[in-house]
Amino acid sequence: MKALLVLLALLPLGFAYFKLESAIDPIKMLYNITGVGAITLLLLSLVPSTCKRICSLNFLRYRKTIGLLSFAYALLHVSVFIVLDSEFDFITIFEKSLKKPFIYIGAIAFIILLFMALTSFKKLFAKFSKYHKSVYVALALALLHSFWAQKVAGVFEYSVVAVGVGLLGERVWAWKALHVKN
Amino acid sequence: MNITPEALFEARRHFLKLGAGALVSSTAISQLLADTLLDMSLTYTPDPNPLKLSPNTFEQITNYVNFYEFSTDKTAPVKLSQKMKTDPWSVGFFGDIKTEQMLRVDELIAKFGLEERIYRFRCVEGWSMVVPWIGFPLYKLLDYLEPNSKAKYVKFTTRHDPALFPDQAKGIFASIPHPYVEGLRMDEARNPLTFIAVGMYGKRLLPQNGAPIRLVVPWKYGFKSIKSLDLIECVESEPLNTWQAIDAKEYGFYANVNPAVDHPRWTQSKERLLGKLTKQATLPFNGYEKEVAGFYAGMDLRKFF
Repeated sequence: MKALLVLLALLPLGFAYFKLESAIDPIKMLYNITGVGAITLLLLSLVPSTCKRICSLNFLRYRKTIGLLSFAYALLHVSVFIVLDSEFDFITIFEKSLKKPFIYIGAIAFIILLFMALTSFKKLFAKFSKYHKSVYVALALALLHSFWAQKVAGVFEYSVVAVGVGLLGERVWAWKALHVKN
Repeated sequence: MNITPEALFEARRHFLKLGAGALVSSTAISQLLADTLLDMSLTYTPDPNPLKLSPNTFEQITNYVNFYEFSTDKTAPVKLSQKMKTDPWSVGFFGDIKTEQMLRVDELIAKFGLEERIYRFRCVEGWSMVVPWIGFPLYKLLDYLEPNSKAKYVKFTTRHDPALFPDQAKGIFASIPHPYVEGLRMDEARNPLTFIAVGMYGKRLLPQNGAPIRLVVPWKYGFKSIKSLDLIECVESEPLNTWQAIDAKEYGFYANVNPAVDHPRWTQSKERLLGKLTKQATLPFNGYEKEVAGFYAGMDLRKFF
């Protein structure tokens, strides 16, 4: 089941690979596919716990896999930035690019995801799991980053914000419900 | 059963209309003939291509566009625009000129003739292409319109017709304010490089590329090259162009391609030439420095971006 999930999540990359040769703006296409993939999977990684609370379906065992897949897409997204877009020109990256608000917002989101990916394995997770709530910060920053990257935000940007607000809102609501009971 | 194939049926209808038109008047018949000729190739003087530029393919240029009147997506306008009716189409000429008037695109072509211009085109978003435009230089049109001494700027407006453009029909939910407005200083407008395009690759412009008539200013970012022109006005003061109205911190009036001045959100020193996985350096004034740099002598291009 997990293997199927991984396979399904990686399909867009296969599509990107075959499209690369004929793509009109290949760098932009890779940015889009990896960016959309990372954000979609990040949102999906929040679904299992919502699902458990709302419809008592337990998909929690897939949460780590989805989260790591999201990180994999984010890593590819950053690689496109460093390898293809900046062509390893680290002076420009640090002196110019990382000063641009939407880029450093994205970079912070990536560092949070990197931290969570590194501490997602059994031994470290026991110690660091409480910090994994920072996924909410990463999500908020990633949404801001995707919004800001566009000249004018479109349907995708508004949709992911709506889904993100829904998922975070449900958490606030669940947290409140718990506190009222106590 | 006897079914006439659609093409034959249409041809017969057209023939009947021609006949009926002949009975009524010769203008009607020439109008109908003009309709038939619309898809014909354009006659033009080819560009000797002194810069030895290799144009992007027709496929690339016609399938990757910014045309927010249809969609903010780069490929969606291609599908959304195919039913757009671009003939007949008149452009209005108003403001501080000798005689305010409206002229059909065909009349403009007949008046000024057509030539090819193979130009670099650079988008503020960091991508670029090379396009073999067909049209006529704007100065020919301005010579004909005879702007008076009050005319310091030329203001351009895209057609406002929610029936043609889905985003305009969205009202307050539109992605950008409509109609789209652009402007040039009179000396910029009169530069021989400044071009009014009606075609590309030997054919009329496709709707997604700004049919039937658009502006091309090759040393400025693409958003200055306004599409589907409705109005050209000679005016006294600097027009507020659409992108400056949306965000004056990010988009100015001049919009000269300048690798040394970054956009607040992205660097401008390099560009992605369509179809290429590697990037290339952006040239000052998009490679037309020799022709236009003099216009901006003494101006701080960080301030007047």
